[in-house]
Amino acid sequence: MRNGLPADEVRGQLLEFVTSLVDAEPDPDEDYFERGLVNSLAALELVTFVEHRFGITVRAEDLDLDNFRTVNRLTGFVLVKTAG
Amino acid sequence: MTAALAVRAVTDFWPDRATALADLPELAELSEDRRQTCLGLGIDRVRADPRYDAVELAASAAGKLLAETGATPGALLVIGSRAPERLMSSEATRLQALLGLTDALTFSVGGLGCVSLTPALLTARGLLAADPGLEQVLVVHGSKPPTPRRYRHPVTVSGDGGQAVLLSRTGPVRVLDVVQATNGHYWDLYTVDFRDRAPEDWSEECADLRRYSFQLALEGRTRLREMYRELLDRNGMTAADVTCHVSQNLSAGAFRFTEEALGVRLSPVCARNLASYGHLGPNDVLLNLYTAIAEGDLPAGSRAVVFNASPVAAWSLLLVEHGGGEAETHYL
Repeated sequence: MRNGLPADEVRGQLLEFVTSLVDAEPDPDEDYFERGLVNSLAALELVTFVEHRFGITVRAEDLDLDNFRTVNRLTGFVLVKTAG
Repeated sequence: MTAALAVRAVTDFWPDRATALADLPELAELSEDRRQTCLGLGIDRVRADPRYDAVELAASAAGKLLAETGATPGALLVIGSRAPERLMSSEATRLQALLGLTDALTFSVGGLGCVSLTPALLTARGLLAADPGLEQVLVVHGSKPPTPRRYRHPVTVSGDGGQAVLLSRTGPVRVLDVVQATNGHYWDLYTVDFRDRAPEDWSEECADLRRYSFQLALEGRTRLREMYRELLDRNGMTAADVTCHVSQNLSAGAFRFTEEALGVRLSPVCARNLASYGHLGPNDVLLNLYTAIAEGDLPAGSRAVVFNASPVAAWSLLLVEHGGGEAETHYL
């Protein structure tokens, strides 16, 4: 699952997970951290989900909130990591 | 080889008066989402007794320990409180006077919030290694929140309590190894602005909740994983060799975070002590360890790993071994 993932498929999977995580369906560009919907445990679950579902390793240098704060930004991050 | 350090006794002191979480005065001033977060921490009640300040809580625990063990420690290490009652004066020498430890080498350690137990243990180990004439070191701390508001959003609720720890080179609970790491970039993530403010207006404020909930949390995951691996590797162990894991008491969510980040199960005593006492700063981890020993979670000859973390930011792990016997004496 490391190459050629369609962006729509990644976005759909992330949207589904984030919706269950924050118990609300966010707009793909909505900052769920800004809204206070993600606590430490939820952040851990989000990163763990991304690692397991897409077979990537989130390293210390990847832990920039800009990579994770919206579904669209997270989709871009996953596509870059899986293309590498 | 690491110099020898062992815990001979731990005594906790609880003031009589307690407050149910639902009766915390600050709940009335919180927004609904913050109120729900507070009520969902996994804390039922905390000890909250205005008759005791932090030094008096520490002195009460230490007085009990000294009476029950007959110890005459040659050194007194005081983990300083988060908000001393007075500036300029010395909590450490006040405790020396209260305890009558006239000849004890006395000073304060700390600066790492809940992790401040670790520098106290490291200092005790160094003193015992450096001075063959020193037999016992007493470490004490009084947990008292720094503001009238006990809730630190979205982390925990702090309770009152005192703890005294008697250390020596030998004893029933051996401290086999200690690892500690800090990241100074988070030094002011949580602060209490107090200058030009009346004490009733003091509160623990997070400068950036997103930074707390994301960057610090996930750096904590990475740090704790690396430190856990390092601790086990350098002691020739695997996770299967650890009989019991305990952590500090912040919230039920924090327990799950630690368990998921490290793939371990924490002793159930952690959740029970959290529910009964809330967060007690540096006193949490040895309260949990000794409760676990008393309840049979760490049989004689087995080892435990103790996790501690603070938003300042600091992380610490201890590897301890229960030798049996006296360790079951936990003076409450």
